[in-house]
Order: sequence, then structure tokens, then C-alpha cells
Amino acid sequence: MKAMARPLIIVGSIVVIIGALLPWATFVLNDGPYPDKATLEFFDAPFGLSSFRLYLEILGLAGLVFCFVPLRDKIRVLKAVGWGALGVALINTLFIIGDGGGFGAVTVADGVTAFGGIAAVIGAAVLLYGAFQLPAEPKVVINPKLPFWAEWLILLVAFVALLLLITETLTAGGHSGVSDPYIGPLFLSYLSAAGALLGVLWAVGVTKWISDMSERHRIFSIVVLVACAVAVPFTSLGNDYWMTITANIGVYAATAIGLNIVVGLAGLLDLGYVAFMGIGAFVAANLSGAVAAEFGIRLPFLLAAIVAGIVAGLFGAIVGSPTLRVRGDYLAIVTLAFGEIFVRVSQNNIGGLTGGSNAIPNIPDLSLFGTGFNDSLTIGGVQLPSGVLYYFLIVVLVALVMFVFGNLKNSRIGRAWIAIREDEDVARAMGVKTGKLKILAFMTGATLAGLAGAVFAHKLATASYDSFQFNQSVTLLAAVILGGMGTIPGAVLGAALLFVLPEELRQFSDYRLLFFGLALVVIMRFRPQGLIADRHRRAELADQDVTGESLDDTVIKEPVAVAGAKEAGA
Amino acid sequence: MSELASAAPGATATTPTRPLLEVRGLSVAYGAIEAIRDITFSVQAGQIVSLIGANGAGKTTTLRTISGLLRPKRGEILFEGRPIHTQPAHAILGMGVAHCPEGRRLFPRMTVEENLQLGAYTRSDDGVAEDMERVYELFPVLGERRGNKAGLFSGGEQQMLAIGRAMMSRPRLLMLDEPSMGLSPIMTQRIFDTIRNLRDLGTTVLLVEQNALAALAQSDYAFVVDLGRTTLEGTGHELLADQRVRDAYLGES
Repeated sequence: MKAMARPLIIVGSIVVIIGALLPWATFVLNDGPYPDKATLEFFDAPFGLSSFRLYLEILGLAGLVFCFVPLRDKIRVLKAVGWGALGVALINTLFIIGDGGGFGAVTVADGVTAFGGIAAVIGAAVLLYGAFQLPAEPKVVINPKLPFWAEWLILLVAFVALLLLITETLTAGGHSGVSDPYIGPLFLSYLSAAGALLGVLWAVGVTKWISDMSERHRIFSIVVLVACAVAVPFTSLGNDYWMTITANIGVYAATAIGLNIVVGLAGLLDLGYVAFMGIGAFVAANLSGAVAAEFGIRLPFLLAAIVAGIVAGLFGAIVGSPTLRVRGDYLAIVTLAFGEIFVRVSQNNIGGLTGGSNAIPNIPDLSLFGTGFNDSLTIGGVQLPSGVLYYFLIVVLVALVMFVFGNLKNSRIGRAWIAIREDEDVARAMGVKTGKLKILAFMTGATLAGLAGAVFAHKLATASYDSFQFNQSVTLLAAVILGGMGTIPGAVLGAALLFVLPEELRQFSDYRLLFFGLALVVIMRFRPQGLIADRHRRAELADQDVTGESLDDTVIKEPVAVAGAKEAGA
Repeated sequence: MSELASAAPGATATTPTRPLLEVRGLSVAYGAIEAIRDITFSVQAGQIVSLIGANGAGKTTTLRTISGLLRPKRGEILFEGRPIHTQPAHAILGMGVAHCPEGRRLFPRMTVEENLQLGAYTRSDDGVAEDMERVYELFPVLGERRGNKAGLFSGGEQQMLAIGRAMMSRPRLLMLDEPSMGLSPIMTQRIFDTIRNLRDLGTTVLLVEQNALAALAQSDYAFVVDLGRTTLEGTGHELLADQRVRDAYLGES
């Protein structure tokens, strides 16, 4: 079949291009911003391509071009194009079928024919199949020698492009978010196309190159990343809706990084982690001067947040203490029980500190120089949406948590945690005080969660037991595992995906959790080490073309090493 | 290389004084089951001392108890005359007893260098980098591939790394559990050469082996462990010549 690779790719690409130009639906799908050209006849509006059709055209053309130009690692490039095209075509076809009431919507109905969707799906499948027939090649590594300012410039461009890509992805299909009935498929189409773009960049070695560069210029990268985060309110995400969503993502990202210490570094499975966030939230709520609070005192926010962190940390130490005796599954059960105890206690207002089912509402808004954090803000003539100060506060929180995590991970303590995760007995034999360190892991994670909880309570203006249920713990754990255990960007990406996807998939209301679960299963099947893998985990889980470091290299190196051993022995 | 063992007393193989390690009447139980009942032996400084015996005789349990990973039910363990069986693992390591566990038990996803760093975990002095270089001198293969993941190495290389990792704590007593396990005869010979080399540089070695023939040939002194008890002792050559040992452990009948 190898010889057929090229013809298959060419045919597939052309069919994708033609499919995109054919009508897709036998009825008008036009009430919202779904591409009004869902029923487009090419000859009506030859240059009026937009949205998913535009992506398909671009991907089809890319398939043709990449097939002919000389290119290293063609197989990975074309696989990325093929998967992207298949994703876009399938999502929209299925949506039209679902929304239009059956196959009639994409075939023949009422004398109207529309085979665009089916053609595009078939074309993309052929293209992808052809790509798989290409010969395997070693992973491309590019590493040009550039002066440092050129590398800085490239990094700057890359991060800004990333920021734009993210904002575009999030707002694909309208900025309003909630009311738009087409946001689901539009968002997923954009995600597929963006995924294909990233896949191509990865295949030609660009992503690895950029990430290596950012590793070399760590400080600079961090500054640019923070600047990008601060710039978000000035982009198309600068409205109330997205300020709330991004602030939520930030809070959960900070919490996920805290959980990453416990699970990702020390390898202790914690199924009740969100309770620590809840403790932080309730402590902050009680010290906020809210009417419903038990204590009538109002501490400055910074102080209240610190107290919240400390209290949560103490609970972390208490919950962590069984880790001295129990391991693995048993520890998971202990933490699960703790999470449930927390929910029951706060739901029934035992001790009177949680407001029970009434929660603690009306937590006073924070303010800075007389500006409430929920007010909108005007800087240099630019009107920023309300909630922007909370957003900035949460950026600071995430940066702080990242700083703590990054320093701990590369410290002696971090090494000891990783050793405990890998082999607790040997860690003890190496002199690691495993008991103390495990409790320390729980404490640190809980403190960070407590801090995040304090911010969360103020942002929501409410602290309710309902926000800290078991499913939140599971989602956080999924965020850590999905993103990649033991890495910062992994936890942030995981939290972003897990807390944004449900928003974007509102369209599919009843099915969204099903899709969501399926997506998780698929990702874990094909990328068990998480989206952004820690290099320790990568070593064990990598199989041939999942990551840059393939085990193929090892096979080649092994005989050399054995020869080396013999020489050394002689 | 000599600095690797700088903390060790000079080789005293020829003039036995107070033993470096004494184990007296040691008994260890897993729940109700006694894994070892009455283990008594001593290790003279500067020697290679072996515990040999069949699978399940209690050799590994003995080492794990000495290094503080298990608590004895009865008996005592003295290191340089001080009781250590009540001390936690990190304190025992700090006194100079390093344990290189059975099956090597490296951190497979960490690099050679990170494994060695963990071996020096209890140390706070600044000689760690130097000692690491010495391990690389001792095992050039490790030095060449110091950035590679430990899990990708061959069995023999992993054993070298395990020994190197244990040496990073600058032990006076190095306990090796089945270092020849799963290795080819050539590689086994290399590992034993290394062990003798370490002994000559001043590190006392307590060796646990099922491979009795190889172990006895290399040992200055040895004890036979049978069903949780020490039954015979003698120099390596005496035991090699002993008919009972030959019958039971050297596959002659």
C-alpha cells in the first residue's frame, strides 16, 4: 500500500476541497451565527468561505501542498492535517444530522441535495488513510543557532500568537457565550483546525524548538507569559462573561497546581482535595465581615487569605497523617471520606461556620484605592470589563502558586517527593524521611488550595458547600492527570480544558458530559502521560510517535552502551 | 578513589578488633510469621562478609532490619558498638550504613545523575559533586550516560548504578542484596571485582547472595543462614571446602 500513499492523499485532499464547496444541509441553518453558508452553493458566493468551510479548504490545500513539496517527516505533518480535516468535517456533519433531524439533512430531502458533509468526511478519511501509508521517519529536530535577541523576538511572537490562538479558540462562534445555539460545533471546528495547525508545527519540530528556547530563556519567558496573561482583558476576551470564566479557570488552575504537588510529585492519591479549597473559602468568608458570618470581624483580605491558607494547611496535615500508615488505594479512601465529611459538615452547618444550605452570601467586594474589584475600570481610555481586578488578582495568585511549585519541584524536597512516588521503600533506604515529607506534601497542597479558596469566595461573593463536592475533586484530579502530572503548564491546561469545555459544549446539553467523558478516555488512551508530560513520566510511558523522545532511540543506543561496558571492564 | 572511603578506618582485616557490625540473636516477624528466628553474626571492618543461604532463609529480611526498614522482635544490632535497631532508617544511613536493595530498585524514570543525587540525600556537605565524579571514574559507562534515564540501562549497568548510588552516602558499611541477580557470568564477575575494589579502598561490605559459589570465593568471611538462623560460619575458603555447604548450596550431592 506504500505506493498508494501519495495518490490517496491527493484524492482525499481534492475531495475535501470539493466537499467544502458543495451544499452541506438540505435546509436553512441560519437563525444564528452558524455559517450562513451552511447551505452555500459555491456559485452563489465563490469567495464567501468562512468558518468550518474555510478550515476545510485550508486543510485540503495543505494536504495537496505538503504532498508535493519536499518535507521531512511528511507522515506526521499529513497525519495532523488529516485528523484536523476529519475532525472538522465529522463535527459539522454530525451536528447538521442531529439538528436537522437525520440523514436527510446531509443527503436528499424535499428535492434538495446536499452531499458536502459526507464528501468532506470521506475525503478526510482517505487523506488520513493515505498519510498513514507514508514511511515512518525519525522525529525532526530543528535547532538553529541564533543570537539571543532573535530568540527573544521569536519567543515573543510565539507567545503572542499563542495568546491570540487561545482567545480565538475560546471566542470562536461569538463572544456572548451563553445564548449562542451554535457555539458548540463552531468551537469544536475551530479546535480541530487549531489542533491540526499545532500538530503540523509539532511535526516539523517548531513546538519543540520553541519550548527548548523558552527553557533557555526562562525568566524572559515567564515575564512574557505574565504580560500575556495581563493582556487578556484587552483582547476579545475582555468582557464580563470571559472575565468570570477566565477567573474561574485561574482559581481552579491554582488549585490544580496545588493538587499536583500531592498527586504529581509525591504520588499520593487525594480524592477529597477540593475540601481544602472549601476550608479556605469558609475561613475567608468568616473573616470578611459578611453579615451571615459567624465572626463579626473584617480582616484585610491579604491577612484573611493567609489565615485561610494556614487553616487549610493544618487540616492538610491532619488528613495527611494517615499517609504514614496507609498507601495507595487505602489512602484514596481515607481522603475520599474526608472530602465527604467536609461536605456533610458544611451542609448541615455543624459548628455554625458554614451557613449550611444557606451558604455565606454577600461577602463584601474587595476594593483597591476605592475601586471595587467587581467594578469596571478605565485605563488610558480603554474601558475594561467589570471583574477585571479579580482577574488580575487571580493572575497574581496563579503566578505565586507556580512560583512555589516550581521552586519546590527543583529542590531537595521535590527530589525526595519524586523518590517517594517512584519507590517509597528505596526512598527510605536513601535516608528520605518519608513520613514527614508526605505530610509536608499534603500541607503544602492544602495551603495553596486554601489560598485559592479565599480568592474564590470573594470572587463569587458566596461560600457554599455546594461548590466543594466530590465531583469537583474528581475534575481537579482529571485536570492534573489530563494535563500531565508533575508539570505546571499541564495543570493549567488541564484546568482550562476541564472548566472551559463544559461551557463551550453547552450546545450539546444532554450529551456534553458524555462527549466530555469520551474525550477523556480517548486522550488517556493515546497520551497516557498527559498533554504536557513531565520528563520523568515521559521516559516510562512514551511509545513511538507520541512524544519527541521515542524509545526507538534507546534501541539504537543499547548495543553501544553494552560495548562501552565491555571496554570499561577490560 | 581513596576519598570515597575517607571516613572509613584503615583496613583491619588482619587484626580483628571490635567488629564494625554485630548482630545478636536477631528475630523479625511479619505479623505472626517469624521470617528470622536467631541470626547472630558480626562483620569486621575492612572485610567482605557474606550471608549465604537458600531462597527464603531470611537474608534479605536481615539486611532490611539492619538498615531500619524493619523492626526486630528480639535481639540487637550494634554498629561500632552502638545499638542501631531502635533508630530510624535515615539515622542509620547517617551513621554510615548504606543498603543497596535486592533487584536494584533504581528510580527508573530519573537520570543517572538524579539517582546519584538521591543517594547523597542525607548529606549536606559540598563534596557531593566530587563523589559523583568518583562514581563515574569507577563506572565510566555511567559517566558517559549520566543524563540518561536509569530504566534504560542493562541489568549490569543498573547494578553498577545501584552500587554507585549507595556509595554516594559515603558509607563505612555497604550492604549489597543479591548484586549478581539476573546477571551474566561475565557481568557477575565484573560486579564482584568492583566489590573487592571497594573493599580494598576501605569500605566494609556485607553481601547477601544465593549464588554461594561466587560469593564465597570473594568473601573474607561468611555465614550460612538456614531457616532464619545462622548455622555455620568460616572464611570463604573454609566454607567452600565444607562438605555440608557443598551439599546444600553448591549443587553437589
